Amino acid sequence: MKLTRRLTLGLAGGIAALAAGIAPVMAAEMPAPFDNAGEVKIALVRYLSTGDFFQAYLSGVESQAAAIGVDLRVFDSRQDAALQADMVDQAIALGVDGIIIQHGLTEAMQDAAQRALDAGIKVVAFDVDVENPAIPQIEQSDYLLGKLALEQAIKDNGDTWDAGYVYVAGIAPLDRRDVAWQDVKAANPGIRELAMFGTLDNPIANSVANQARSVLQANPGITVVFAPYDEFAKGVKIAVDEAGMTDQVDIYSADVSTADIAAMREPGSAWVATVATNPSVVGEVSVRSLAMLLAGEDPGPNVVVPPTLITQAFLNDNGITNMEELSAKMPQFAHADVSVPAWIPLPAR
Amino acid sequence: MTTQDDTKAHAQGDHPAKVAAKRTPVDLAIRYGFLSLMAGLILFFSVASEGFVSPYSAVFIFQSVAITGILALGVTFTLVVDGFDLSIGSTATSALMLSAYVMVVLEMGAVAAVLACLVMGALVGLVNGLLIVKMKVPDLLATLGMMFLLIGLQRIPTEGRSIATGMKMPNGETTVGKFSPDFLWLGRHRFDFFIDNLIPVSVLILLGVAVLCWVFLELTRHGRLMYAIGSNQRAAALAGTNVNRYKILAYMISGVLASVGGILLAARLGRGDLASGNNLLLDSVAAALIGFAVLGAAKPNAFGTAVGALFVGVLLQGLTMMNAPYYTQDFVKGSVLVVALVFTFALTGRRRGSNH
Repeated sequence: MKLTRRLTLGLAGGIAALAAGIAPVMAAEMPAPFDNAGEVKIALVRYLSTGDFFQAYLSGVESQAAAIGVDLRVFDSRQDAALQADMVDQAIALGVDGIIIQHGLTEAMQDAAQRALDAGIKVVAFDVDVENPAIPQIEQSDYLLGKLALEQAIKDNGDTWDAGYVYVAGIAPLDRRDVAWQDVKAANPGIRELAMFGTLDNPIANSVANQARSVLQANPGITVVFAPYDEFAKGVKIAVDEAGMTDQVDIYSADVSTADIAAMREPGSAWVATVATNPSVVGEVSVRSLAMLLAGEDPGPNVVVPPTLITQAFLNDNGITNMEELSAKMPQFAHADVSVPAWIPLPAR
Repeated sequence: MTTQDDTKAHAQGDHPAKVAAKRTPVDLAIRYGFLSLMAGLILFFSVASEGFVSPYSAVFIFQSVAITGILALGVTFTLVVDGFDLSIGSTATSALMLSAYVMVVLEMGAVAAVLACLVMGALVGLVNGLLIVKMKVPDLLATLGMMFLLIGLQRIPTEGRSIATGMKMPNGETTVGKFSPDFLWLGRHRFDFFIDNLIPVSVLILLGVAVLCWVFLELTRHGRLMYAIGSNQRAAALAGTNVNRYKILAYMISGVLASVGGILLAARLGRGDLASGNNLLLDSVAAALIGFAVLGAAKPNAFGTAVGALFVGVLLQGLTMMNAPYYTQDFVKGSVLVVALVFTFALTGRRRGSNH
């Protein structure tokens, strides 16, 4: 065991040295320690990794790390909270300079994060609250995500309508989006929630479609469905199409992907608007915030990446068919002006 | 009355010998208890939930159980030969990804996509069967391994991304293929039946598959031999049955039906969604197990499986229309399964004990 660990460390060290050797020598105007960026090692310790969102987040982290020229290690605990804590210790043993903790459970990560700080390592956390003032929180604002979608719904439909709401309690981002829904309902007594449904049985879209169809049949008066997660919205759209209620129901959602764009742009699609934060932008912001910490700057205790409203009309008017085109046509989606000191090179687009 | 019941029971594939046995109230409870429970539920929902009784509602229920129903019929075959197939859920989601891959990335048509999926399903079943009969790996373990293998395999070609038109592939190219309209027809077309656009293709496929499975298992020699293998493998072998071949056949049927489910799922979703398929597996196994209780069969049977799937569909439709949250639905599904298993094992066991 001891031998294996030593061997692994040795190997990792060797690879690190090699990587440092071939890493591009970056502009000298970057502050220490980035005047020699190839020597800087950072680790991404992940809790969640399967799915498009996490894949895109990783690609954002990778491209920003490459733009600065630091040496990035990725640890993937695949939803094992204990393993994730062990991986933080592994990263400490590896002698990294900074750690990004991506998701995880507060209870499991708190101590591990403190151990990293004690070892003199800078830490930022994305979407997990490790309850430590020395660790900046990177977050996409789920509350704003919900709020923007609902404001659009009110703009399109007035403030009096019967709604269906898709929600599963106990999932942190959905809970935060739910706060926006509760606030909007309280502020607009004309909005009636006729039905609340939702499930995370996968394939989620298929299960939600089955539920939504029953709901639409039981409540034919529903004109707006608030489905603040794109898998939910996809399911509702299938049900609306199958029930032939495309003209009557409008769907407002959160998140976006290439497939979502296609679904929103189908002729006569009921899915009229979504609000999203680009996950790869969140990945880039995570790396930049960590880099600021390493250079002795302060990104602030809460780094919020603002969401963007994307309407069906905008997609149609600009002929957008995938995420790349969306980024090109909507600059605020492709890049967030968050944690951007002048010295950090941005990823090429 | 008796004659009518006899013919009915016979048509539903029960042993004539059982029908001849004396009817006690317990017998009646075992035979018709589950069906009456279902009738009662339908009655309850009709009163409690406005709009539950309508042709659309009936079609919705069939459609919502079409995919799990088809998978459940597949798993019924493996249960009949005293095996088990844990890989059906991931076979279905692999077929979902494969059909999307064939059309969106390889830019081929609907026929190619469907064929590729069916072949993949048959291959998965063949490998499962060979592992079990040739390598002597226990069925649960062999198919568990296959399940994990497929969950991983379906993600490799796209590096863990879902497949949609216009997505970026790992090599940087953008996909231009589309889901063929013929393929989507499978998931979205509705046939006219008194009312325009009423019956979806998937429901007809479910009904067709159910009838075929029932005919195969109950009316053909092959079906009888499968049951014989399930009840006593050695005796069946001594009587000259090629046990290994029938077992492999059962797993292949299971794999092919799972891929049919995956094709219908892909046609409904219109994209290659990443999913483990574990819920599909659990729901379809539940349907097949509930099927044991229908008509007091106490064994895997195609009619029971179809009724079991419908039972779950009726419950979920009714509960959703009454705004019940999703966790109560899991709770209710679990309760139904437990009740069905009690019907099967406790009551049937008592009857056997007293009659033999």
